[in-house]
Amino acid sequence: MKKALIKDTVKEIKNTYKRFISILLMAFLGVGFFAGIRAASPDMLNTIDKYFKESNVYDIEIVSNLGLTKEDIEELEKVENVEKVYGTYSQDSIINIDDTESVAKLMCVEEVNKPVLEEGRLPSSENECVVEAKFLEYNNKKIGEKIQVEIEDTTNDEGEKIPFLKQKELEIVGVVKSPEYISREKGTSKLGSGKVNYYIYIDTKNINAKDIYTQIYIRVKDSNKFVTSTQQYEDYIEEVKTNIENIKEERQQARHKMLVDKSNEKVEEAKKTLDEEKANAESKIADAQKQIDDAKVQIANGEAELVRNRKNVDNQFSTAQKQIDNAKEQMKLGEKQLQEQEKQVSAQIDEANKNKSKYRIDLESINEEINQINLSYNQMVEALKNNNLPSDQREELQKNKESLIKQKTQLEKNKKQLESGIKQIDEGIVSAKSQIEKAKQDIQNSKTILNKQEEDLKDKKKTTYDKLESAQKNINKSKQEVANGEAELEKNKQEFNDKITEAEGKLIDAKEKIADIENPTWYILDRNSNQGYVSFIQDTKSIKSLGAVFPIVFFVIATLISLTSMTRMVEEQRTQIGTLKALGYNKIQIASKYIIYASLACIIGGTIGMFVGCEFLPRVICMMYSLMYEINDFEITFNCLYSIIGLVAASLCIVGATIYAAMLELVNTPAILMRPKAPKNGKRVILERVPFIWKHLSFTRKVTVRNLFRYKKRFLMTIIGILGCTALIITGFGMRDSITSMVPNQYENVFKYDMQISIKNNLEEEQKDKLINDLINRDEINKIVETNLIAGKLKYKEKEEEVQIIIPKNKEEIDKVINLNDRKTKEKVNLKDNEIVITDKVADLLKVNIGDTIKLEDSDEKEIEFKISDIVENYIEHYVYMSKDLYEQSYGEYKTNVLYTINNNVEEETEDILVKEIIDKNGVSSVTTTSSIVKMIGDMLDSLNYVVIILIISAGILAFVVLYNLSNVNISERIRELATIKVLGFYDREVYNYISRETVILTTIGIVLGVIGGYFLNAFILKTCEISAFRFAKVVEPMSYIYSVLLTILFTIIVNIATYFSLKKIDMIENLKSVE
Amino acid sequence: MSYIEFKNVVKEYIMGEVKINALNKASFQIEKGELVVIVGPSGAGKTTALNILGGMDSVTSGQVIVDNKRVDKLKDKRLIQYRREDIGFVFQFYNLVQNLTAKENVELATEICNNSLDPVKVLKKVGLKERMDNFPAQLSGGEQQRVAIARAIAKNPKLLLCDEPTGALDYKTGKQILKLLQDTAKKENMTILIITHNAAIAPMADKVISFKNGKAQDIKINKNPISVDEIEW
Repeated sequence: MKKALIKDTVKEIKNTYKRFISILLMAFLGVGFFAGIRAASPDMLNTIDKYFKESNVYDIEIVSNLGLTKEDIEELEKVENVEKVYGTYSQDSIINIDDTESVAKLMCVEEVNKPVLEEGRLPSSENECVVEAKFLEYNNKKIGEKIQVEIEDTTNDEGEKIPFLKQKELEIVGVVKSPEYISREKGTSKLGSGKVNYYIYIDTKNINAKDIYTQIYIRVKDSNKFVTSTQQYEDYIEEVKTNIENIKEERQQARHKMLVDKSNEKVEEAKKTLDEEKANAESKIADAQKQIDDAKVQIANGEAELVRNRKNVDNQFSTAQKQIDNAKEQMKLGEKQLQEQEKQVSAQIDEANKNKSKYRIDLESINEEINQINLSYNQMVEALKNNNLPSDQREELQKNKESLIKQKTQLEKNKKQLESGIKQIDEGIVSAKSQIEKAKQDIQNSKTILNKQEEDLKDKKKTTYDKLESAQKNINKSKQEVANGEAELEKNKQEFNDKITEAEGKLIDAKEKIADIENPTWYILDRNSNQGYVSFIQDTKSIKSLGAVFPIVFFVIATLISLTSMTRMVEEQRTQIGTLKALGYNKIQIASKYIIYASLACIIGGTIGMFVGCEFLPRVICMMYSLMYEINDFEITFNCLYSIIGLVAASLCIVGATIYAAMLELVNTPAILMRPKAPKNGKRVILERVPFIWKHLSFTRKVTVRNLFRYKKRFLMTIIGILGCTALIITGFGMRDSITSMVPNQYENVFKYDMQISIKNNLEEEQKDKLINDLINRDEINKIVETNLIAGKLKYKEKEEEVQIIIPKNKEEIDKVINLNDRKTKEKVNLKDNEIVITDKVADLLKVNIGDTIKLEDSDEKEIEFKISDIVENYIEHYVYMSKDLYEQSYGEYKTNVLYTINNNVEEETEDILVKEIIDKNGVSSVTTTSSIVKMIGDMLDSLNYVVIILIISAGILAFVVLYNLSNVNISERIRELATIKVLGFYDREVYNYISRETVILTTIGIVLGVIGGYFLNAFILKTCEISAFRFAKVVEPMSYIYSVLLTILFTIIVNIATYFSLKKIDMIENLKSVE
Repeated sequence: MSYIEFKNVVKEYIMGEVKINALNKASFQIEKGELVVIVGPSGAGKTTALNILGGMDSVTSGQVIVDNKRVDKLKDKRLIQYRREDIGFVFQFYNLVQNLTAKENVELATEICNNSLDPVKVLKKVGLKERMDNFPAQLSGGEQQRVAIARAIAKNPKLLLCDEPTGALDYKTGKQILKLLQDTAKKENMTILIITHNAAIAPMADKVISFKNGKAQDIKINKNPISVDEIEW
């Protein structure tokens, strides 16, 4: 390599930087897209792998319809290659905040499936919990606040209802992310709206119902050596699953036995207690009877005694009364005597009083005489005082006086006698009176005493009789009590008998129930049963498929663009090449300039593309997916292999194109090369030979037409570019259309039913008929079709596919709920009695056709060969339909386990209520509505919009680079022509039109071809990334075509605006000065 | 006031750090209908002056007046319009559109002009009646230059500017082209400017302007221009 050449190359790059950049850009895009899209899928996979490894996510999950036990764990731990077994608890609960009810899945923080702490801390006591960020946001809650969970009680092995949690009021202590729920969809619940809205982690301490685990998680030994979802991983886990499968039956039976034993034990115990109670009650009744009898005897005794007592008392009282009466009689006699005496005494007193009066009269006369005497005496005394009185007189007088005195003394003596007589009489009266009085007093006293005695007797009588009366009352009361007691006893006896009958009935029921204990079924699941995980893995696969097809389009276009660009460059430098050749440089030396030029562009562009692509694209893709999935930060690792493959591929394409272009010129001799290349001769085009059209074209249009034919390479390139762009956009939209159309195709065109009601296996025929009757009587339900739906496998040659087998009870009724239409003719297909009908995708997968004989294995692994009578249209999952007769002939007893219903048009809310009510019915195990499935799948398919966006952006960039590059080549190639028309005075607009008219025509052709190409590219890509469970209808909606065309036009317009400005900038003087 | 006035025109190019005055206060006048020949050594500023006059380049300072129009003040669309309506250009390398026939090349110009001439007539005038439907590649250099001239004339411009029109032609053909230009000037009373480094042809002009170092150093008026036929070089 000569120095001059290097210098020349560098200068060349400087001068033609636009071209250099456009090649660089093509390499950038090619490598970037290839490496980027290729790297995105492993990056996504690594991210989830790392997340799962860090969070110690389970490899195998075991759930059972009857829960799992410590013994199960112990047994599982013994299974080969099982590293650790974790038993844990989870339950759906209702949370009511501000009148909004939501369903939250309560789970325990365990070593397995460790939630990632984002804020706060993990729960450490029984009244704490952690929630997801969304929960706080949507419910306007903060860490530290409390929530109340409502949770149904669980039934323990003894059949008792016990609370699941110890604490129902939980304090939020942190925010976490759950590796178990990476998608927005958290599955379904039997509670509330039927959809799990949130997950909440609690501490295991809060679990009250600890005996039965709701699930068991298993980490498999050394499973971390593999990347999750890879074939090696799946195979490895499958092996361990098979090992577990081997102990499954034994464990199921053990669990069944355990439940039966426990129930038996319980029955025995109940029986024992019943007997004891019975004996106890009987003795109690006997006691009570005895007590009553005793009481009765006592009452009789009491009564007899009372009678006796009464008699005694009566006697006593009558004697006493008699005595009193006697006394009264005597007293009356005494009184009579006293009255006699009194009468006598009164007479005597009257006598005495008469005497007394006489005496008093005597006494008075005496007193009068005395007084007379006294008076005469005084007069004599007076007269005696008179001295003059003759002594005769005096003597007379004195004598008189003396007689007087004597008289007086006599009188005095009489008086005294009288007075004493009176006194005597008075004293006699007083004494008589007092005697009578005393006698009266005595009688009175006796009377009083007697009365008192009588009174006392009365009192005594009363008290005694009262006592007797109360005794009688007591006895009567006791009698009543005894009577009551007897009645009570009678009642108790009755009750007791009832109770015993009831308890005995219950015991019989319980005994019967033992026979009814369900058979435990283990479900051995792996990560593929986690909806979020599966959809994420599915997405990584879609991106991978996209990465396989998509970059090829880029490489093809990059090659073509580089070829155009480099050819142009070599042509421009024709003279120089000739000069060099003349100077003696050999072909390789001369070509090396262009090779270096292209390689540099390629390496620089490719390297930038490598880094940007590997960094940016996976990041963009991951960012888009992180909107969908709650996952750790995406792991962007630089993927050397893909980058280098991309770079090498891009270099081969671009440098190869350069060498080809250079060689085309280099074969010429220097002499030819040094002469300016004869401008490509103007030529009449075919169209000119059609005067009818040609004559009607305006001048400028003729020019356009001629130019189009003149630059054939550019013509082709532009069309290919636009074609690619349109096709890519259509593919983007088409992928979405095809995938989303699956849902209406399946749930409107194939499945017509509105609800699928699964009924419990152990339901009796009559109960089932009652249920159906109940359901059909509802206004909302129009039609019910009974079917048996079982899982099975179709096998043909080496291949096998999992299918669902639908066996309608009445084969004529199936078309009421499911359209069985032939996949090609779309005509209705009938079930035959000796052949089966299978769905189209599984037929394709197994490569079978109508008339082939195929093996069908039912859920009991019974394998039978059938002939295929028809293959029907279906979009989601695989189904086999067979008639009831055929089923019974082949597999045995038929049992309805699924009811399909056609509902009358109901609102969403009424449907929710309906579902709840049906779920509550006895014998119903689950209800799925078609509308909820449609909605769920719809949400899931939203992620496809990102694929569309990625495709549109890529297509846009591609279109832009291609068109811009071609437009530059076009301008450069025709710069003289353009400068000339500018000099001639074409306005900028006219110059632009001169060029753009060609672009418009090419774009139109490109778009038309692109629409066709898009249809096929879409079909191809869909075929590449089709998932085996689905059949994509290869449809593109008319609107999608319109959008694609409009977007392409938009990109073209953007490029044309850029062209307009570069045309405006063309330097006329410079370009017209010399020959090129 | 003359038909064309070029007053103290300065044109400054900045090439990196070096400033080059392509025109350094160049001044001259041209009357309507004059055939002017501009002579001078390479780099004297002839082409720059012609480009400015033709509305293809702007001035740094000074005035350019064509038929009372301040060409130096024209901007964008007005300038294009000036080129479109008033100017015809003939270049050394013809600059024909290869993809168009002779007639179409002329039509390319007449399509956009209001008072254009009939392309066929103009082509007849330049002596290409027989070759109208030929593509440039099928024509000789002289013929191509005739087409170029026809294209310029067909616009019926006020001013026909020719930059070395014979530069790529042999003596005889060159002479024929010059004759065509001289005849056109006379017959159509068209104002024509011809740049040449061949001073020998100066006598054919009404006015000869000699450029040197960016200045119109010498302006000579030929009272009696002689026919090209009579000039030998």
